Amino acid sequence: MTSSLELGPITRALMRNKLGVVLIALQIAFTMTVIVNAIDIIHDRTLKITSPTGMEEDDIFSIRSFGFDSSINAQVLIDEDLDMIRQLPGVVDASRVNAVPASGSGSSSGYAIEPGRRELTVPAAQYSVDEHALNTMGLTLVAGRDFTPEDVRRRTATETRSADQIIVSLALAEEMFPGEGLQAVGRTIYSAEDKPLRIIGIVERLQSPWPNATDWIVERSLMIPDVVIDNSSIYLVRTVPGQRDALMADVEERLAGAGYDRILMNNKSVAQMRTELYRMDTAMARVLYTVIGTLIFITALGIIGLAVFSINKRRKQIGTRRALGATRGGILRYLLVENLLISAAGVLFGAVLTIGFNIFLVRTFDIPRLDWYYAPLGMLVLLLLGQMAALGPAVNASRVAPAQAISPSH
Amino acid sequence: MLNMININKRFRTELVQTQALADFSLEVKEGEFVTVTGPSGCGKTTFLNIAGLLETFDSGQYLLDGQDVSHMNDYQRAKLRNQKIGFIFQSFNLMPDLNLFDNVDVPLRYRGMGAAERRERIERALESVGLLARKKHLPSQLSGGQQQRVAIARALVGEPRFLLADEPTGNLDSNTAAGVMELLQEINQQGTTIIMVTHDVGLASRSARNVHILDGRIQSDVINSDVINSESTAA
Repeated sequence: MTSSLELGPITRALMRNKLGVVLIALQIAFTMTVIVNAIDIIHDRTLKITSPTGMEEDDIFSIRSFGFDSSINAQVLIDEDLDMIRQLPGVVDASRVNAVPASGSGSSSGYAIEPGRRELTVPAAQYSVDEHALNTMGLTLVAGRDFTPEDVRRRTATETRSADQIIVSLALAEEMFPGEGLQAVGRTIYSAEDKPLRIIGIVERLQSPWPNATDWIVERSLMIPDVVIDNSSIYLVRTVPGQRDALMADVEERLAGAGYDRILMNNKSVAQMRTELYRMDTAMARVLYTVIGTLIFITALGIIGLAVFSINKRRKQIGTRRALGATRGGILRYLLVENLLISAAGVLFGAVLTIGFNIFLVRTFDIPRLDWYYAPLGMLVLLLLGQMAALGPAVNASRVAPAQAISPSH
Repeated sequence: MLNMININKRFRTELVQTQALADFSLEVKEGEFVTVTGPSGCGKTTFLNIAGLLETFDSGQYLLDGQDVSHMNDYQRAKLRNQKIGFIFQSFNLMPDLNLFDNVDVPLRYRGMGAAERRERIERALESVGLLARKKHLPSQLSGGQQQRVAIARALVGEPRFLLADEPTGNLDSNTAAGVMELLQEINQQGTTIIMVTHDVGLASRSARNVHILDGRIQSDVINSDVINSESTAA
C-alpha cells in the first residue's frame, strides 16, 4: 500500500522544492489560524445573539409613555392605561416595568448575602415591576411564588420605603448560594444600602437588559415589586401568538387617543430590540464570514495556482510516468498525495499558530478559549479544501497522454 | 513478439489531414535488434508511439507478444506497457527531483511490487549500468551518458519483453553514444528484443535489421548478415 502511495519519493521530491511548498503551506497555516479563530468568535457571538431572555419573546412588545401635563395624576393614568390594554382582545397581560430584557437600557446594583460585606457583592440587573410582570413576560417560575397585589409597593420617587421581597433568576440564586440555588426561597440578601430583601420566588431564566455585555451580568437579574409612580412609564404587553404586530399599532393608537398630553415612543417588539441590540455583533459576524470566504477563496486559488503551475512544468514527467505504466488513477493519486502532504504540513503548522493566536486573543481581547475540537476540525476542513482545490488540475493532469513522454514540445 | 498488420494512423487538424502510417505492417521476432530510420516526419515517432502503446491507431491489427492490443482501453494498455515494454528516451526523461534509486523505482511502483523485491531489482539494475554507488545522487549530478545509463536501468528493471528506444544516443557525444550502443547490444545479446529509432545511419548499420520508413510506409527492411555473423561468432 505504501509503495502505491509513493509517500517516500514524493516527500523527498517536495523537500527539494522547498520554496513553493513552504509558501503554500504557510498560506494554508495562516488561513487556518484566521478561519478557526474567526469561527470561534462568530460562534461566541451567535450564542449571545440567540440566547433566550427567558421571556415569551415572539409575543411581547413594549411602548413608552411620557406625560408632560403636570396636572396628570400619574397613578390614575397608569391604571387607566393598563386596564385599557389588558381588556383588548388578544392581549394576554400587561405590566408597567422600569426596563425590558434585551432592550439595552435598565438599572443594576450590587447584592450580598451578608450586610456590610461589600467584598461579597454580586452585581445584578434590577427590574421594578408589578404583580403582572411575571405573567406578562411569560417567565417560568421554578421555586416559590409570584408577587401578589399586596406585595407591590407603590411610591413616589421621593419616598424611600421600598419593597422587601424579590424574585431572582436561578443564575443569580446559584451565584449567591452556590449549589443551593433552587433552595434559596426564604433566604435573605442585602442591597448596596444593606437593606434586607427576602427571596420569595425563583425564575428559570431572566436576562438583564444587556445580554450582549460581559458574562458577569447577563443572566443575573432580580425583580422587586417596587413601583415608582411618575409620568414616565414603560408598558410591557404580551399578546396571544400571531397578534403582536396588530396590537402594537392598536395600543399606540388607543393610548394616543386617551386624551392625555404625552409622548409615545419606542413602540418595539422584543424581536426588534434584539435586532438593534445585536446589530454590531451581527455586523461583526458578517464581516468575519466575508473574511473567511475571501481567505478560503484566496487559499484555494493559491493551491490551484501551484498545482496548475507544477503540473504544466511537469507534463513531460507525467507523460513519462504514464509511459512507464502509470494509469490515469495512478497519476491522479500521485498528485493528490503530493498536495495532501503540502496541506498536511500547512495544517500542522496552522494548528500551532491557531492555538497560539487564540491564547493571544484570550489574553488581549477577552475572547473565549477555543474548544478542543476546533483545531482538528479546522485541519480536516483545510485538508479537504486543499484536496478539492487540487482535484481539478490533478484530473486534467491524469489526462496527459503518455505520448507526451516522447513529444519534443515539452 | 511484435506484429503490426495494416496499421493506419491519421492526424487531423481543421485544415489538414496527415497520414502518419499507411497500411504499415511489420513483424519483429523475439531477440531481434531492429533499428528504424527515416527522415523527419516519415512516421518513425508515430510507429514508436503505437508500438509502445502510447497512442492508438485508426485501423489494422497489432499483436504484442501474441496478444491483440487493438481494442484495449487506457487502463489495460498502461498495465501492459508496465509489464512488457521498457522505454529509453532521447532526453532520458529522468525525474529531476528523484535520486537515481527512486527514478529506477518508478515502473516497479506501478507494478505493486513489495519493497524488498524492488530494492533488490533496483540495485541489480543500477549495478548492471555501473551506477549503483551513485544511487543517492540526483540526475543533475550526472553526465549525459550516465543519465542515459540510469534511463536504461529504469527500462530494464521490470525485466520487459522488449525495449523501445527513441534516439537514445541523440543527445550524447560520439564516444558516449558508442558506449550506450554497446550496452544496448549487450542487453540484446542477453535476449531482450530492442527496437531503436535513430537518425544515425552509422548506428543503424550496427544492428542486425534496419527498417527504413518513408511517408508512413516501410520503404526497406534490410537484414544485416554481417552483424548477424559477427554476433554468432561472438556468441
